[in-house]
Amino acid sequence: MSLIEIKDLKVHYPIRSGFWNRITDSVKAVDGITFNIEAGETYGLVGESGSGKSTTGKSVVGLEKVTSGSILYNGKDITKRDNRRKLDYNRDVQMIFQDSLSSLNPRKRIEDIIAEPLRNFEHLSKDDEKLRVLQLLNIVGLDADALYKYPHQFSGGQRQRIGVARAVATNPKLIIADEPVSALDLSVQAQVLNFMKKIQREFGISYLFISHDLGVVRHMCNNIAIMNRGRLVEIGTREDIYNHPLHIYTKRLLAAIPETNVNQRVAHRASRLAVEKIYEEQQDKYYDENGMAYPLVQVSPTHSVALPETIAKQLASQEGEVQA
Amino acid sequence: MWKTILRRLLIMIPEVILLSVLVFLLAKAMPGDPFTGSINPKADPAQIKHLMEINGLNDPWYQQYWNWVVHLFHGNLGNSYQYQEPVTRLIEGRAGNTLWLAFFTMILTYAFALPLGVYAGRHEGKLPDTIIRFYTYVTFCIPVFVILVLGIWIFGYVLGWFPTTGSVSSDAQTWAQTVGSRFYHILLPSLLGALFGTVNIVQYLRSEVIDAKHSDYVRTARSKGVPSKDIYRHHIFRNSLLPIAAFAGYSITGLLNGSIFTETVFSYPGMGLLFVNSISYRDYTVITALVLIYGILNLVGTLLSDIILSIVDPRVRIE
Amino acid sequence: MAENFEKHSDISAADLARLNQEAQAEATPSTAKIIWNEFKADKPAMAALFIIVGFIAFVMIGALFINTPKMMETNIMDYFDKPFTTDFWLGADSGGRSVAKQLIVGSRNSIGIAIGLTVISSTVGICWGLISGYFGGYIDWGMQRVYDFTMMLPMLMMIIVLVTIIPHYNAVSLTLIFSLFYWEGTSRLIRSRTLAETQKDYVAASKTSGTSNWKIIFQGIMPNISSLIIIDTTLSFAENIGVETGLSYLGFGLPTQTPSLGTMIANANDPTNITLYWWTWLPAALEIIVLCLSISYIGQVLRRAADASQRQGAAD
Repeated sequence: MSLIEIKDLKVHYPIRSGFWNRITDSVKAVDGITFNIEAGETYGLVGESGSGKSTTGKSVVGLEKVTSGSILYNGKDITKRDNRRKLDYNRDVQMIFQDSLSSLNPRKRIEDIIAEPLRNFEHLSKDDEKLRVLQLLNIVGLDADALYKYPHQFSGGQRQRIGVARAVATNPKLIIADEPVSALDLSVQAQVLNFMKKIQREFGISYLFISHDLGVVRHMCNNIAIMNRGRLVEIGTREDIYNHPLHIYTKRLLAAIPETNVNQRVAHRASRLAVEKIYEEQQDKYYDENGMAYPLVQVSPTHSVALPETIAKQLASQEGEVQA
Repeated sequence: MWKTILRRLLIMIPEVILLSVLVFLLAKAMPGDPFTGSINPKADPAQIKHLMEINGLNDPWYQQYWNWVVHLFHGNLGNSYQYQEPVTRLIEGRAGNTLWLAFFTMILTYAFALPLGVYAGRHEGKLPDTIIRFYTYVTFCIPVFVILVLGIWIFGYVLGWFPTTGSVSSDAQTWAQTVGSRFYHILLPSLLGALFGTVNIVQYLRSEVIDAKHSDYVRTARSKGVPSKDIYRHHIFRNSLLPIAAFAGYSITGLLNGSIFTETVFSYPGMGLLFVNSISYRDYTVITALVLIYGILNLVGTLLSDIILSIVDPRVRIE
Repeated sequence: MAENFEKHSDISAADLARLNQEAQAEATPSTAKIIWNEFKADKPAMAALFIIVGFIAFVMIGALFINTPKMMETNIMDYFDKPFTTDFWLGADSGGRSVAKQLIVGSRNSIGIAIGLTVISSTVGICWGLISGYFGGYIDWGMQRVYDFTMMLPMLMMIIVLVTIIPHYNAVSLTLIFSLFYWEGTSRLIRSRTLAETQKDYVAASKTSGTSNWKIIFQGIMPNISSLIIIDTTLSFAENIGVETGLSYLGFGLPTQTPSLGTMIANANDPTNITLYWWTWLPAALEIIVLCLSISYIGQVLRRAADASQRQGAAD
């Protein structure tokens, strides 16, 4: 059984308009997505800004009111607040936020910030709690003198490690990492990511890793889902996505990864332009008449793509993949 | 646009109804009944009972409220016991004085505040700015009635520059003399009110100017060589003017509240003084009418401001 | 589970005391310390603070030694005695009552009511704004309609009418009547800041940490707007001194036998008093001015302390 099973999840926001302010339409931030997260893996959720990936993450951790669909954890639908409370759900599912400054209360000391989930879920004695906080600081590579300092006294990378320590405090099974490094310098990104990987090894945690940066995702994730306009357009292993992308949106995202090798600059630019040309010309092939993605079709045991069945098969055979 | 205004007007309806119910209930809660004093004190209690019966004062409150509202729409606010005349006529005579004073105070306030605000913003951090900020700080925190008392003492009594009572001199014969005398009588109270009421506008304008000064469009204009006088006149001042005009509606509330003090200190026969006197004489019909009128004036002021603001600032409209 | 952490961290229970001590040494100064530094750096602010604290202490204690009913007895012999004499430092009023003593008792009453009003109205306003801004949605909508409605009421008139309706009103009921109307400014200010604050991720982090809404509001968000609260409360205090005194001046505040700074200024309503017997009202008027200026000056200093870039006090 998977750790988390997301089934046909929808999050719609009403748009009110007209004279009586009635609900006339809705923004479909997340529009029917389904995927599973296995224990101990890092699941990548990738898409451009506004694609609904953050909303998905917030729904999984219980911060977003879900319109319909279900998220199963231990067989219980945790989109219902009662079930979350009964399970002590957030003891097992925690979150790391993108903006490390905003996610740490500026008026609280680091000790209180890291101890917050402990106080609500574990009720340790005072000394045990302090010891746990010190151990957590140590695990993310910070010294004990951080205990009584305030968030603004740390650098961005250190703050994000404090955020990681807080998320790990209750020894959760899943951590939603919502663009955890995209606000950091490149040099610090690797450092924070390595801490996250180390913690995963040691504590057996799963991550739902949300990012727009395919380079970082490649470094972190075994399974990847690509999201576009509230729907999933492609699901697959790292191998599937990076080496055999089928959907034009995935191809565009891959083409957008910057090429560091200067000698291949020209070639890279040409391939980018080629992808863009296909996108311009064949949009109606990849999206339905409303510009939305098609339902997912499986093309291999691990790989699914949101295309009409025939086109998917045809593309898959071109890529040389084994048919399911 | 008209949708916003219409919706805003619709929201006003329950507010007016609630206000009228509240005013009516307060009137009911006041001690005594409308006949005390207006009829012979030796009247037979049975006769009073009969009077109350035929005037519907024993009906349930909602029925009385309905009758009161019907009378209201016929322009009948009852009779004043103190002055023995219809409340409508009594207030008609005073309303002009109060509104005239409020209007003139507002004009003066803007006349002081606009140049001060722009000047302070323009010379941010320099001496004029420091002085203007000190002035707004002082005027902001001193209660206005203390200023009025000190003002009438110094300029009215000690120096004798201004009249200390009434709204027009009895010597005034011709039309011109009357207007002149009226003007003379409101000059000191409105000057004091204006000098001590600039703080909101000055602070708002100052920060607007400072923000605008550092904004890209002003920098662009400057780098193109537009003279700074024109920048202030055409770019900054014009942009901040409408929100400031919207203050006018909100400030009606303050001016009306203030009228009670101003008119008491200067014995100026307006609605505020009428209210204070009516309270002393327990003249309930007048009190009820005045509270209702002030409430509705407040409402209209807020409405005006909201409409102006929604024209200026589209973000307000979305709500 | 504890072993799990033990295993992956090289800190054990034995190190706790030592590490705690190290951390303590590095701890940062508290807000109170920062504010105190700011006052020490600004001499006029220090003076204002001493004036206010000293004056309030003086009238509170001094009033205890004055027998108010006896003081308020009419004494024809001392009718309008001149000030600066040994019997009457500040003269006597039309009833031959000592102005100086009335000033002390009156200040006590007026300041007391202003403090009470500030405490009640600020508490209500802060809670109103926090709850309205944090929960949003229908709760916010409903609370905002109540706010709009009370804003529309002719405040001063309603207070005066209520005062005349309530049969046995005294300082306490008067304070409560004022409080009905004076929470609004604070609530709007707090609400708009709370709206912004609620959007920040630390609130979401507290939610996922299992903290209850009330705890998030009062222990998470409120400390973050504490500087705004302190400044607003100080400025409201200065403003509230004008509320009771203004109403007493009109004759609808404290009962006539209870002296207040407002009733003393009301002596100026008489054309003879205002010029000839200036000492009956002028001291009270000047006192209000000095009080209000000092208090709001303190408010300005607090505002500066809250804004790190404007601080004059030494950094640490």
